Amino acid sequence: MTMRIERINNGIVLDHIKAGMGIHILKLFEVELLHTKIDYASYIDSPSLGMKDIIKIENLDVDPKMLMKMALLAPDITISFIRDGHVDKKVKPEVPPLVEGVINCPNPKCITQQEVYLTSRFQVAFEEDGRLRQQCLFCEHIFYS
Amino acid sequence: MRKSHKIDEHTIGEKMEPFAFKGRHIIDTADLSNDEIMHLVKVCDEIQAMGDDKARTLCKGKILATLFWEPSTRTRLSFEAAMYRLGGNVLGFSEAKSSSVSKGETLADTIKTVSLYADIIAMRHPMEGSALAASQYSEVPVINGGDGPHLHPTQTLGDIYTLIKEKGRLEGLKMGFLGDLLFGRTVHTLVRVLARFGVELHFFSPEGLNIPAYVRSDLEAKGAVFTEQEGLGGRLAELDALYVTRLQKERFFSEEEYLRKKNSYVVDRETLTRAKDDVLVLHPLPRNEEIHPNVDGLPNAGYFRQATYGMQMRMSLISTCLGVKA
Repeated sequence: MTMRIERINNGIVLDHIKAGMGIHILKLFEVELLHTKIDYASYIDSPSLGMKDIIKIENLDVDPKMLMKMALLAPDITISFIRDGHVDKKVKPEVPPLVEGVINCPNPKCITQQEVYLTSRFQVAFEEDGRLRQQCLFCEHIFYS
Repeated sequence: MRKSHKIDEHTIGEKMEPFAFKGRHIIDTADLSNDEIMHLVKVCDEIQAMGDDKARTLCKGKILATLFWEPSTRTRLSFEAAMYRLGGNVLGFSEAKSSSVSKGETLADTIKTVSLYADIIAMRHPMEGSALAASQYSEVPVINGGDGPHLHPTQTLGDIYTLIKEKGRLEGLKMGFLGDLLFGRTVHTLVRVLARFGVELHFFSPEGLNIPAYVRSDLEAKGAVFTEQEGLGGRLAELDALYVTRLQKERFFSEEEYLRKKNSYVVDRETLTRAKDDVLVLHPLPRNEEIHPNVDGLPNAGYFRQATYGMQMRMSLISTCLGVKA
């Protein structure tokens, strides 16, 4: 199959994103993506995942907190940092069992939605079916990615 | 995060450790071991055995703050009565608009301030996890009097005390739950604790108002014995206790369906002719039509005594968390 997206010289390549989750990864960014060249390919054949998404973003760096957010949405994600056309560094963020201050609880009735100074805390674990189970330690609401 | 230390819920210890309640927050019954729950029950009995006058010396000079961001007359009055019966004093507010919240104060600031005035806090708040959040900012013990539809540990502990006083035991009891079991937080917390004590659980609810999947899977994980069906049917005759909950019209898809089904969920004298003579009928109150007033005069009607036991359990919690009872 022909790759539908171009090489980049500087920036990041987000690979091994579970098919369909790429759009949610992009939503993590706000103004950073304004005036930025982004290539996004969805539902590409993948030997390990079956189907996957790939995103390439030019001239962008990401901090460890953002890496963790991406890993929670797409646990298999790999991030390659490209410098002058070469892979400078490739990381696969590990998701720890306790994630603090990274993501917000989606439960609208959770106290962390109202009292925004609270540090969010999630217990994170993989289910037998491979889904990532995230439980808010305030309201105990469970959601999956 | 919680000052209350997490203890394996299944540790029914041969070796009894001293119970560390002083200064502890009561947020969730899952934080309490079976031994600790039984200790609270023992303290309830000890306080009642003291007599009113002596009990009124236990918390003399202590202050309970009842912080109720949403109205709950029954729970608030129960906490306040418990503190007055222990000889303490009470301050607080009963709705958000009469508190500093209406001026934009955060939960953290309210708790930090009140914990300078009071020795212990009982709170109810509409948001889930609010009591846990409050405990992070409090210098004094926080007792969760209900955090939205999430947890209501003092109701559960009061219900446990009721069953022990009325039936003499927990293990081996066959207990039925009737009504809306999907939205009732009281039932969700209670059944998970009862399962730890070996109570057999039988659920009776209209289709669509069954116990939620997470409660069911939790019960399965605990190895609990439980059944689910729509109506009471023949199983009523096996039950030692029947816990009835409110059946609200708005939970049904249509008024027609509500009218068609509601009578199957009303307990009256005729219903009880099909049950054991000493079946105990409980209800967290307030009730609507689900228990007919003609049951009130029967010795089986345990729901008002249940309110008394609930208050006595709150006396046990206040006195142990303040450290005036070991």
